[in-house]
Amino acid sequence: MASFIIRRLIALIPVMCIVLVIVFSLVRIIPGDPATTLLGPGATQDQIEALRAQLNLDQPVILQFYHYVLGLFVGDFGYSLKTGQPVATEILQRLPATIELSVLAVIVAVIVGIPIGVLSAVRPNSMFDHVTRLVSLIGVSMPAFLLALILQLIFATSLGWLPVSGRVSPYLPIEHVTGFVILDGLLTGNVQGALSAVQHLILPTAVLAAFLAATLGRFVRNTMMDVMGEDFIRTAKAKGLRNRQVVLNHGLRNSLLPAVTIIGLKFAEMLGGAILTETIFAWPGIGRYMFEAIKNRDYPVIQGTTLVFALLFVLTSIIVDVLYGILDPRIRRKMG
Amino acid sequence: MKDVVLFLRRNTLAVVGLVILVALIGLITIGPSLTGYSPTKLDILHKLAAPSLDHWLGTDAFGRDVLTRIMYGGRATLAIGVGVVAIAFAVGVFFGMLAGFAGGWLDNLIMRIVDAILAFPALVLAIALSAAFGPSLQNAMLAVAITLAPQFARVARSQALSISVKPYVEAAISLGLPSHRILLRYIFVNGLGPLLVQSTLALGSAILQTASLGFLGLGAQPPMAEWGADVSANLQYVRGAAWVVLAPGMAILLAVLSFNLIGDSLADWFNPRRRSELE
Amino acid sequence: MKIWNGIVVAAAVLPLLGSAAFAQADAKLKTLVVAVPSDPVALEPGTNKAEPIGSEIILNVFDTLVAWTAPDFKVLEGRLAKSWTVSDDGKVFDFRLREGVKFQDGTAFDAAAVKFSLERTKATNPYVKATFDLIKEITVVSPTELKITLSAAYPAFLSILAQPQAAIVSPAAVAKYGDKFASNPVGTGPFAFKSAQADTNVVLEANPNYFRGAPKLSQIIYRVIPDASTRRLELEGGGVDIVQQQGQLSAIAAQDIEALKANKDLKVLEASSQIIRQLEFNNSKTDGPFSNLKARQAIAHAIDYDGLLQGVFGGTAERVYGPLTSNSWAFNPKMKELAPKYDPELAKKLLAEAGIKPSSLNLKLYSFQGPLWGAVATFVQANLADIGINATIEQTEFPALRTLQTSGQFDVALDGRQPWYNDPDAHITIGYLSSLANTAMTFRMPQDKALDDLILKAQQTPDMEVRKQLYFTIQEEIAKRVPGAYLFSPKLIVFARANVEGLVVNSAPPLNEYWSVSKK
Repeated sequence: MASFIIRRLIALIPVMCIVLVIVFSLVRIIPGDPATTLLGPGATQDQIEALRAQLNLDQPVILQFYHYVLGLFVGDFGYSLKTGQPVATEILQRLPATIELSVLAVIVAVIVGIPIGVLSAVRPNSMFDHVTRLVSLIGVSMPAFLLALILQLIFATSLGWLPVSGRVSPYLPIEHVTGFVILDGLLTGNVQGALSAVQHLILPTAVLAAFLAATLGRFVRNTMMDVMGEDFIRTAKAKGLRNRQVVLNHGLRNSLLPAVTIIGLKFAEMLGGAILTETIFAWPGIGRYMFEAIKNRDYPVIQGTTLVFALLFVLTSIIVDVLYGILDPRIRRKMG
Repeated sequence: MKDVVLFLRRNTLAVVGLVILVALIGLITIGPSLTGYSPTKLDILHKLAAPSLDHWLGTDAFGRDVLTRIMYGGRATLAIGVGVVAIAFAVGVFFGMLAGFAGGWLDNLIMRIVDAILAFPALVLAIALSAAFGPSLQNAMLAVAITLAPQFARVARSQALSISVKPYVEAAISLGLPSHRILLRYIFVNGLGPLLVQSTLALGSAILQTASLGFLGLGAQPPMAEWGADVSANLQYVRGAAWVVLAPGMAILLAVLSFNLIGDSLADWFNPRRRSELE
Repeated sequence: MKIWNGIVVAAAVLPLLGSAAFAQADAKLKTLVVAVPSDPVALEPGTNKAEPIGSEIILNVFDTLVAWTAPDFKVLEGRLAKSWTVSDDGKVFDFRLREGVKFQDGTAFDAAAVKFSLERTKATNPYVKATFDLIKEITVVSPTELKITLSAAYPAFLSILAQPQAAIVSPAAVAKYGDKFASNPVGTGPFAFKSAQADTNVVLEANPNYFRGAPKLSQIIYRVIPDASTRRLELEGGGVDIVQQQGQLSAIAAQDIEALKANKDLKVLEASSQIIRQLEFNNSKTDGPFSNLKARQAIAHAIDYDGLLQGVFGGTAERVYGPLTSNSWAFNPKMKELAPKYDPELAKKLLAEAGIKPSSLNLKLYSFQGPLWGAVATFVQANLADIGINATIEQTEFPALRTLQTSGQFDVALDGRQPWYNDPDAHITIGYLSSLANTAMTFRMPQDKALDDLILKAQQTPDMEVRKQLYFTIQEEIAKRVPGAYLFSPKLIVFARANVEGLVVNSAPPLNEYWSVSKK
């Protein structure tokens, strides 16, 4: 198992190298000079030149790339052009918010999506199948911003059940321990704050989870239907096993494997969706941080956040592979 | 033809999708010649009028008829979807087939690049590209196409892998047919089914992502009508005049939904095992 | 395991949260929540670039020597300075400072602190280099007396001293925190900095020892909410008390105002601003259609100014007649007559006289991003279409647009200037002096010695009445050259909950002070 994980980690290197090159060159072709942006109106040409030199911007692109990669190895992502703070620090400040939101969204999506898929596959072409397929297709087709808006209008503005935006009520500040507010609230005995944090999580989680739950539901249905047609299921049924048992023990277990893959694959798409969700819900995560950085031409931040996104994605796919091994003994044996 | 009829009879949801799609296409092709309004001409006196007999879906902040904007905007939005998928299909399938057929280091190189692109959240790549080349519809389309291409490449590669070991391909190789001919004549043609299913589903994603870019101000430029951009430009009026936002928003939803309904059913249909369950 | 218990408990008491909120009511009355679109860049006078959010917080945490008097903002009053005199040649400023004032860290405020702060900003802040470089010497005469000597007369200098960059910092705190001062700012102001969380909030606490009296509020929370419609939903739901005026500048407030005015829980505060938004030509360009004066005049007459103000802005913006807004003390009333009027027929005629076939023009109309600029661009584009000119809109991100402008790669662009100090100098010198043409946000005026001399003379003349006359002439001279079409001046608009009292909308600089604010 360990050697398998190590091999997967090594395979990560070329992918991250390509990502690095793409990010670096992408950022260079975005027009607008960062030094000019940083100094603002009123700066003289001399000051701009001086800052360009300080930021290595006056050097050939290859050298800039060299300096950048060198810095990455010591955890130096550079400094934000907007705030002057280290990018690594700023990312770490915002990472917990994004992780909290996206992990919860994955959990919700699994809890909702998989049962729907299973039930629909057990009775294909039934009324339940049609309705859930339609609903999940609507879920996949719904633009995230539209869903967010509708939910805000209904649950926050009209009904007043949930807060419109933010991560915790400003009147119930939570002390910073880990950066995960619910956890911090509970750790510091601030139950009210933690509750407020839970309330604040509901709408953004629902928006992020909707797409994934719908995708998952469709996917599980399809794979279940494939699996249910396999010989071993027929054998099980012929052996007189009860239908529920067959579905749960044989059908579900075998269709969970591909479902894990799809969760991993869609995770990246979900992080992308976090940009919109975080902006609309004033959620202090890295999606919004990145969008602001692109607007401000904050090169080091764009590079840093994109790398973090890519790394998260690649790590997820490794976790998926490992889970795969745990779920499927055949693959586990192959891993050796 | 018989197949099509059978397919539709067995797939209620596909019929629903088809009906929505035909209605939308009818709306955007015939609609503009029936409406008396212009999509861009301002009529400030009648701004933000509620839906009425004159303006079925009301008017926007410039007094433009929302239904008319949706008709013209649909032309742009659907053209985007088709255009994006065409680009993604061409690029993705070419490299995917090549990788699957050639194998070896070329396969490795192509698939690593595909992995790298997949590792970017699609919207992130699209935002960066739009920012790099300037905000315009063409650039937004190109950006979305690049993010969709890897999916095609993956499907195409697995098709190429499974087809290139088929006897007829091996026969063609042993006959000494040129590679490009084998790729096109045998592998591409025989692997087309799943790729078409992928295309229908990708159409939905393409429209959705271009709309998201439009929402972030990186797509179509005013005064051009485009659904995503129209949602974004009118978002500030949602509390007082919800129709200016919900109408184009629902149009996006319906269009994407129709493609997904059809694509989903097609996917079932092309899968022999599931097809037997349905029949 | 403890955590799980916590979660179980949490789930059980979730329905009780409503009653818990009741207990917070008192704290709520003493807390003002202000919605802002993004984090402040830095709470640091030494690097402040007039970025609105940081600037506003600075003005509430720190004090300046002088400030404009509310509500008209035409007269300067002393803050940390009790009084001052200016020498006849306009170069020497003598200040008498307030006694017994303490910084929030307990150290005493004195003339040495002023000298320290101003010299610190001069050394570290490129944004105000042009004006702070005029300071030749700052002399501490006694702990309560200070003399500032300029190298040249600059009548707008006192305006500069009212700016956030000229706020007085605690020298002891700077010594203690060094380059971490921006995250631990200490001033003499009515509110002390308490904490900041990235992309979430900035919390300020009342300074009970404030020299003008303790503020009525006990804390201010700036909540960062990037999306405009979310800000409005929060305001309506009571999640925030005030939507800061800067938030309104990127979206049109007209529709919001109508709806919010009807809402009894809310109120809308409005004030005229000195902001000018214009369609500008690339005046340095010697070729192209708009090197011809008649063509520029044609465009100026093609725009339906009143239609824009009423139709698009619904009365939330005002007409601009020339290079200065009509609320400026140097505004020349004659400009109202001289300003171009909407006349599409005349516009077509002028184009013909210029020898330009409108259909041959394929303009790229550059504009900033955001719904406000999108709406203005849409309107202008339609106006141009009416006289036969085809223009395509390119809404460009701020840094990219600025690069296009400073490098002169455009024919027409929508642009604007928000003056930060209350003096005509802020619009005229930076906008129209030809030697500054290639810097950001100017009209890119071509070499023009007569006009340049006038501008520099007006900038340096100490006698205010003479200055005013000079600016009158300058406005007429600039108008003759038609460097652009002045479109509108947005009003400063603050949305507040109805129970917020004592807030005055500040127009120069356009930042709110919360010392006098309370909640009922």
